[in-house]
Amino acid sequence: MDFRLTEEQELLMSSLKELLEREAPESYIAELDEKHEFPWKPWKALADNGFLGLGIDEKYGGTPADVLTQCLVADVLGKYAFPVGVIYGLGVITIRDIEQFASDEQKARVLGGIIKGEPPVALGISEPQAGSDAAGLKTSAVLEGDEEWVINGQKIYCTLSNVAKYILLMTRDSKAENPYKGMSMFLLPTDTKGVRINPLPKVGWWSVPTCEVFLDDVRLPKSALVGTVNNGWMQLMANFEIERLILSASCVGAAEAAYEDAATYANQRVQFGQPIGNFQMIQEKLVDMAIKIENMRNYYYKIAWMMDNKMPVRHEHAMAKLYITQASFEVIDDAMQILGGMGYMMAHRIQRLWRDVRVMRIGGGTDQIMYNIAGPQLLKKFKK
Amino acid sequence: MNIIVCYKLVPDPEDVVAKPDGSISLDQAEWIISDYDLMAIEAAVQLVEANGGKVMALSVGPSQLANSKAKKDVLSRGPDELYLVVDDGLRDADTSLTARTLAAAVAKLGEFDLILTGEGSADLYFQQVGMQLGELLGLPTFNAISKVEWSGGKLAVERSLEDEVEALEVPAPAVLAVTTDINQPRLPSMKEILKAGKKPVVEWTLGDLAVQDGLAQRVEVLSVRSPKQVNRKQIRIEGKPEEAAQALIGHLSKEGVL
Ligand SMILES: Cc1cc2nc3c(=O)[nH]c(=O)nc-3n(C[C@H](O)[C@H](O)[C@H](O)COP(=O)(O)OP(=O)(O)OC[C@H]3O[C@@H](n4cnc5c(N)ncnc54)[C@H](O)[C@@H]3O)c2cc1C
Repeated sequence: MDFRLTEEQELLMSSLKELLEREAPESYIAELDEKHEFPWKPWKALADNGFLGLGIDEKYGGTPADVLTQCLVADVLGKYAFPVGVIYGLGVITIRDIEQFASDEQKARVLGGIIKGEPPVALGISEPQAGSDAAGLKTSAVLEGDEEWVINGQKIYCTLSNVAKYILLMTRDSKAENPYKGMSMFLLPTDTKGVRINPLPKVGWWSVPTCEVFLDDVRLPKSALVGTVNNGWMQLMANFEIERLILSASCVGAAEAAYEDAATYANQRVQFGQPIGNFQMIQEKLVDMAIKIENMRNYYYKIAWMMDNKMPVRHEHAMAKLYITQASFEVIDDAMQILGGMGYMMAHRIQRLWRDVRVMRIGGGTDQIMYNIAGPQLLKKFKK
Repeated sequence: MNIIVCYKLVPDPEDVVAKPDGSISLDQAEWIISDYDLMAIEAAVQLVEANGGKVMALSVGPSQLANSKAKKDVLSRGPDELYLVVDDGLRDADTSLTARTLAAAVAKLGEFDLILTGEGSADLYFQQVGMQLGELLGLPTFNAISKVEWSGGKLAVERSLEDEVEALEVPAPAVLAVTTDINQPRLPSMKEILKAGKKPVVEWTLGDLAVQDGLAQRVEVLSVRSPKQVNRKQIRIEGKPEEAAQALIGHLSKEGVL
């Protein structure tokens, strides 16, 4: 088994680290967070240096890349600029859906823009009554006169929708009996008449806005449909696995950043006449944290490798998402403990990582939903 | 225009370990392109982008140079071709041997309009190799170059001195050592990194070149030592500024610093 990255991957990661040191130093990420500002400048820098085209077809100006390479990018982003890592990860699912299911015209327009540094396409699934039970969504799309779609409804937690040019919007045909065969996907320009977007204040992700979206008689041309009518659920599920994995990889980077802060602090902070790192209870924490980081990284390496080798990862990806998002938060929480009062102060980045990473156990499918995906699959293996 | 850009691989300063006895260990060090040379590479690439032609990267040194990642690294930053003189006889080469080897390699490269180098090397920083190379080749040679333009077969350059900027017209070919503020080097994208593996690389050893005076060195290094590390004293001075200053003076004189 060879754990080494390829030379190309290593060079790409050094290039990315250097880029982030230049364009997204910690002080700047902290400032953006405090001001609740989208990281426009780092995002543009990623685009200018070809990172936003990774995984996108060369036809649209991108550079093909495997899942592992994209995870590595998210990991490094997560370590040095977590909000940027989140935005990168959120972008992957909509990019892939568009690449796989959109028309050539839609692809050229949207993917070309993303490669140049437009924010990712937002994803509009969740509604006030439909969270974990995404199939409970009610937003409707009605074809009028075989010319125009008329859309009505409300979305919630639609991240990036107030900065994005488009929302990849899920709707439901109320007449279809089976909800999974009654959903459709649309490419909705956010400046369309009848769309109202309202950011929601939240605990973390201050540079990554999450909004409610109201849709009142929104009219879209027939060509705004992505893929096939009533095939939306299948299209959506096609790329959830990679999105969950890439977002998990960004959590590993965040945990490593917190761990490094904690280990450095343990060497410096003197109490009872000696560095707190001398106390075995602190050492125990640091060792446990280091083990978790190692496990998390190996876990996403393996799932990425499976995906790159076209193996199914139905329950594997859910278990990895569950483990990594939990363990990364535990590591950051322990780092806060090691930093004591300083870890809880706004002056230190630990509090931001703590606020930012906590939600990874909710978004993209909650812990409980990951158990629901994995549990039955595991049982099925042992059914006689 | 054809440009030769010289670069050096140096141990990554982050990986250099000072041992308790003061000796320096490079065992764990990854070898990377010297910072200062990145600006020379970028300047060469920008000139060729603006005027056409090609960039030939050139380096001489020990076996680390032949590392395949190191080769991709330099080529991912824009040069079209790579020429290396890899020979363990060049380990710890002084500036004279380095410049003489570069001159012998340049003689094999054919026509060129300009040779660019960095201002010095990130490990030794003698700032001599570029100047000696120009002298050996008998070409107009300048350091402290903060701007280069190519027009009508001549070079229009600016030289940043302490209190003034000299504007000079230099006939080609010439050897120029560029400053660190001449540009901000671009970062390699995945596209460039993937392309790098497919660009032509030519490797020579000392045996392939006619180096003037062979392996003779002009400088003998007796030893390299790191300054002694001392533990922090963890002394905290509090109180009014005047009293604190007095206390500080007290501590410093006790240590024999004052
Ligand atoms: C910051 C943030 C960003 C988000 N971004 C987006 C976005 O861009 N686009 C989008 O469409 N959505 C987004 N979401 C929505 C996210 O996907 C949902 O929050 C998530 O799926 C959970 O839905 P819910 O919040 O309605 O919780 P609920 O589904 O109401 O769940 C409440 C609790 O019940 C548990 N639960 C629910 N069902 C079961 C069950 N069957 N078995 C056991 N326990 C269960 C849950 O695990 C949870 O603990 C975002 C959410 C957040 C917080």
